[in-house]
Amino acid sequence: MSAEARLPTRHLIQPDLPAFDADTLDPALRAALADLLLTMADDEFVIGFRDSEWTGVAPMLEEDVAFSSLAQDEIGHARLLYEMRSALTGEDPDRLAFHRQPNEYRHARLLDQPKQGWGFTIARRWLYDTADAARLAGLATASFEPLAQVVAKIRREERYHLMHLDAWLERLGTRHGQPRGKLLSALKTLNALALSVFAPLPGEQQLVDAGVLAAPMSELANRWRSEANARLCALSLRPIPAGLPPADGRDHSQPDESFVWLWNEFTSVARLEEDAEW
Amino acid sequence: MTDEQRPSEGRRDDAGRLGAGADPGVWEVFRQEKDGDAMRHAGNVRAPDRELALHYAREFYSRRNESVRLWVVPRTEISDLSDPDLLQPPLDRSFKKPGGYVMRDKLELAKRRAQETAE
Repeated sequence: MSAEARLPTRHLIQPDLPAFDADTLDPALRAALADLLLTMADDEFVIGFRDSEWTGVAPMLEEDVAFSSLAQDEIGHARLLYEMRSALTGEDPDRLAFHRQPNEYRHARLLDQPKQGWGFTIARRWLYDTADAARLAGLATASFEPLAQVVAKIRREERYHLMHLDAWLERLGTRHGQPRGKLLSALKTLNALALSVFAPLPGEQQLVDAGVLAAPMSELANRWRSEANARLCALSLRPIPAGLPPADGRDHSQPDESFVWLWNEFTSVARLEEDAEW
Repeated sequence: MTDEQRPSEGRRDDAGRLGAGADPGVWEVFRQEKDGDAMRHAGNVRAPDRELALHYAREFYSRRNESVRLWVVPRTEISDLSDPDLLQPPLDRSFKKPGGYVMRDKLELAKRRAQETAE
């Protein structure tokens, strides 16, 4: 496949994506990178849609705007990551985002849970954002320079997300009665599931050997757990349990019912007219 | 956000602080558009505390990169002065305004002279 054929069918409109020549990469490493990018893009895409379900119904007007803006940021990160994968594989980023079947998505199972209360949403988003931060930290010095550049930009935006989610975790965790009770019961369901963000990837060893990933996913999970648990313990909240990330943490061969519902929502416009130009 | 038409609600103590009369959940937001500009009043947000007030100010007044700096101030801490005796005294003050000094003719003369010199 020539470099020309590998370009997406549509011009890249993402100004944050550095130009690079995918042909200089070893094919096995290129495939491993493409797979890593797909898992990260799918995570951001799915959490972005999940959290945008709060638009119009968040607990207060200001939070409604803030939370919707956070959700939009995640869709923006997904777009950047899908387009980076497209530059490696020649796929159309829109087709990746909107024209796969539910069982072809690679998001972490943590994100399969349907929308529940505000406490549940804060618990999940805090767990996801802190886990994502540990993963991004593991890519900050990636030997593949375009990825390191993209990760540096995403981390700058994620700083504010972490501040905002941590502010909410603290407020819910320290208000006794219903807020803390709901947060505790959400963490009971979600804590172990959050390890799915670090589910092993098929090309993981190649990424570590090539200096793209600073450590295996299981090691990044340990780093995340010790930091997250320090915070959870300070708020007397349930810690993340010991254990390895689940091997099937990104397996959707039997898609979760709530994800199929969400997929129907976010693909509904794209499916109206398969070949529409946007 | 709240009604901005009535900023003087509940004025009370000696220093003119809006104090307890003002809505304690409201934070006034000031923004600087670019480095070196003055901080200008942007509007306000409702928030339960200072930290979330800054987060919401960020969302409302800079999520599209409109600002390089934001300030939030609790409305209760704002001192209010709207006494007409102090701000709109009734006597003629035209002598304090520059409009009383007519420049037009002198300016015309100066222009003509400058033109003649140039020729």
